[in-house]
Amino acid sequence: MEDMLNTAKTAENVRTKSRNSKPTKSHPLYYLLPHLIIFSIFFLIPLVFGIYVSFTKWDLVRTPDFVGLENYKNILFSNSIFHDQLTSGLWHTILFVLLSVPFCIVVPLLLAVALNTKPFLGKFFQGLFYLPSLFSISAVVIVWSLIFNPNYGPLNTLFHLNQVWTGTQPWAWMTIVILTVWWTIGGNMIIYQAALNGISKDYYEAADMDGASSWSKFIHITLPSIRGQLLYTIVTTTIAQFNIYGQPLMLTNGGPNGSTSVLMMNIQQNAFGSGQSLAGLSSAMAVILGICITVVSMVQLYLLRDKD
Amino acid sequence: MKKLRVLFMLTFSLFLSFFISSKTDFVHAASNKQIVFWNPFTGPDGTNMQKLINQYNKTNPEYKVKNVSLTESDMYSKIPTIVNSGKGIPDLQIVHVERIKDYVHNGLLDSYDPYLSQFPQIKGKNYVPEAWKNGKYEGHRYGVPLDIHTTFMYYNKDLVKKYAPHALDDNIVTFKEIEEAGKKSQKDGITALGLTWWKPLFLSLYGQMGGKLTKDGRNPTFNNATSKKAINLYKRLREEKITSQDGQDPMQLFLTGKDIFFPEGIWMNNQIKEGKIKYGVTNMPQISSNPNKMVNWSSSHQFVLLKQPKRSKAKTKATLKFINWVRLHSLTWAEAGQNPASLAITKNAKYNNMQQSFLLSNKTEQNSLTIFDYRYNGYLADYLDRYAYDAVFNKTSISKYLKKMQNTVQDEVDAQMAD
Repeated sequence: MEDMLNTAKTAENVRTKSRNSKPTKSHPLYYLLPHLIIFSIFFLIPLVFGIYVSFTKWDLVRTPDFVGLENYKNILFSNSIFHDQLTSGLWHTILFVLLSVPFCIVVPLLLAVALNTKPFLGKFFQGLFYLPSLFSISAVVIVWSLIFNPNYGPLNTLFHLNQVWTGTQPWAWMTIVILTVWWTIGGNMIIYQAALNGISKDYYEAADMDGASSWSKFIHITLPSIRGQLLYTIVTTTIAQFNIYGQPLMLTNGGPNGSTSVLMMNIQQNAFGSGQSLAGLSSAMAVILGICITVVSMVQLYLLRDKD
Repeated sequence: MKKLRVLFMLTFSLFLSFFISSKTDFVHAASNKQIVFWNPFTGPDGTNMQKLINQYNKTNPEYKVKNVSLTESDMYSKIPTIVNSGKGIPDLQIVHVERIKDYVHNGLLDSYDPYLSQFPQIKGKNYVPEAWKNGKYEGHRYGVPLDIHTTFMYYNKDLVKKYAPHALDDNIVTFKEIEEAGKKSQKDGITALGLTWWKPLFLSLYGQMGGKLTKDGRNPTFNNATSKKAINLYKRLREEKITSQDGQDPMQLFLTGKDIFFPEGIWMNNQIKEGKIKYGVTNMPQISSNPNKMVNWSSSHQFVLLKQPKRSKAKTKATLKFINWVRLHSLTWAEAGQNPASLAITKNAKYNNMQQSFLLSNKTEQNSLTIFDYRYNGYLADYLDRYAYDAVFNKTSISKYLKKMQNTVQDEVDAQMAD
C-alpha cells in the first residue's frame, strides 16, 4: 500500500514538474524545424541559387562563370532576341493575367453564390464544377483541343463554322482563357462557398425587412463579408496566372506567330531546350518575372487592404 | 521537451534514411555486372528495343544489358546533370546524332577510340556512310549508329492511280507532279500534299536547293535567297490549295483517304498500317527528278559513352560487344519501322520485304539520306518547331520569319559559355 502511495506521489511530482517547466527560447524552433527543412531544401536554397545563377553564364554542366550584370543588360537593354523574348513574353503574360483573373474570380464567385441558395441537385453541381481542378493540364488541353478542333470539333460542327480557333487571334487567347477558367473554377469556388456559409443569416433578414434588392444584398452584405477570402483568391490567382505555361505550350505552341508565347515558355526553352542550356539568361528572366509578381501582389494587397 | 527532441530526431532520421536509400540505389545500379542502357524509346519502338535486349541477354553474356527507357525531353534534361554529378551515369546511352558535337564541347562524352581496335567489325564499311560519318568529330569517334531514321513520303495508292498515274514511275515524286495532281484532285475535295512536320519538310527542300545551315561551323546562314525560295514554294502550293490548310490535320486527311501524299517519318509506319487505306512509300517530294540530287531528311540514333569519372575497361569492352552484336541482329529494330544503320541488314530477306528498306537498297538512295549536322542544330530545331508554318500560313512574312530565325540562333550561339 505504501509502495503504491509512493508511486502515485512520484507520478504527481513528475506531472507538476512538467507543467511548471517554462518553454525555452528554442522551444518553438522544434515545431518549426520540419517545415524549415523542407522550405529550405525545396524553396530557399533553389531561390538563392537561382538568383546567383542569373549573374552567371552556365550550361548546367560546367562550373558557372560569374558575369555580373551582363545577363540583365542583355535582356533589358540590348537589341538581342532575349530582349524581345522578355518584353513580348512579359506582355503576353500580363495580357493573359488581365484577361483571365477577372473571370477566375467572378465565375467561381457567382457559382458559389448560386450554390449557396441550396438549389436542387446542388451537391451534384458542386462536384461537377470542382471536378476539372482534379485533372492534369495535359488532360484538360486534350479535351479542349478536341472541342476547338476545326475539322471535327463540336464547336465548328454545331454552329457550321470554319474557324481555326487556336491558330488565329483573338481566338487563340480566347481558347486559352476559357480553358483556364474551366480548369481553375473549383479551388476558388470552394473557398467562396466556405466564406458564404459563415455569413450570419441575420444580416440578410434585416436587409429583407428594409426591402433591399438581391443585388443590393450582394454588394452591401455578401462582398464585404467575404472580403478577406476575395483578397486571398485575387492575390493567389494572380500569382498562379503569372506562372502560365502549360496551356499555351500545349494548345497553341505559343502561336500564331509567337503571339501567345508567354515568359515561362521562353524561360523553359532557353534553359532546357534542344541546344546548349542558357541557364544564366533564363534565371535572369525568371528573377524579373518574380519581381513583377511580387510588385503586383504588393500593390493588390495595398489597394485591397482593410482601411479600418 | 524530451518528446519534442524525439520528434525532431524522428524527422531528421526520416530525411537521412531517404537520402541514404537514394544513394544505395545508385550504388546497386553501378555495382552489378550489368550494362545500364538509357534510351528515349518509350513508344512502340521501345517494345522492339526491349525484345532486342532480351535476345542479347539470352546469349548469356558476362554483362547483361538493363534497358532504361525515358521520355526524350526528360532524358536530355537528365544527361548534363547526371554527368555533372558523376553518379548514376548509364554505361551506354542513345542520343540523336545532332547532339554529339555539342556534347563533345561540353565534355559529356568519352571517345570509343581506345577500344575500337579490339572490335574491327565496328567500322565505316559496315554502316550506312551518312550515319557513320556523323558519329566522328575532330578526329575521334564518339557515336556508333544504331539506325538512320528518315522522313519519306507515304502515298495513297488509289488516289495516285487516279490523279498522278505516272508520278511514281521513277520513284521520285516532284513538286511539279504534286501540283499537277493537286489541281485535278482539289475539284473532288482531295488534298495533294499534307503539311506535316515542318522541320524535315523545310530542310529537305532547302538541302535540295543547295542551302547550307552554316559556312564556318558556328554562325548560321539561314536568312538567304535559297531559304526564301524554299518557303515560298510551300506558301504558293498552300495558296493554290494543293497542300493541307491551317487547322487541318494531315494525318486524319490521309487516313480517311482525302490526301494523296503524306510526308512523315518511317517510324510512323505502324500507325499508318492501322488505317484502312492502301498505301505505299517513296522519297520525300523533290524539285528535280535527277536521282543524284535527291535529299531525304534523316537523323540517327547513336550509341554513345557518357563521360564517367572512372571508366571500367572490362565493362566498356562488354558494352562494345553488345553494340557489335546489335550490328548483326538489327532485324528486330527494323521491325519497329526503323532502318538500322548496319549494312548487314541489307542482306536479310525479311528486311528487304519491309517498306522502308528501299532507302538502303542502293547507293543512290543511301546517298540521298542527309543528316543536317550543325553543332547548334538544337537552337534551329527549337525555332522551326515553335514557329513552324507561320510564314507558309501567312501569319508573318517570309522575310520576317527568316530574319527572326537567323537572329534567334545567332544570339543563342553568342550567348553560350565559351568552349
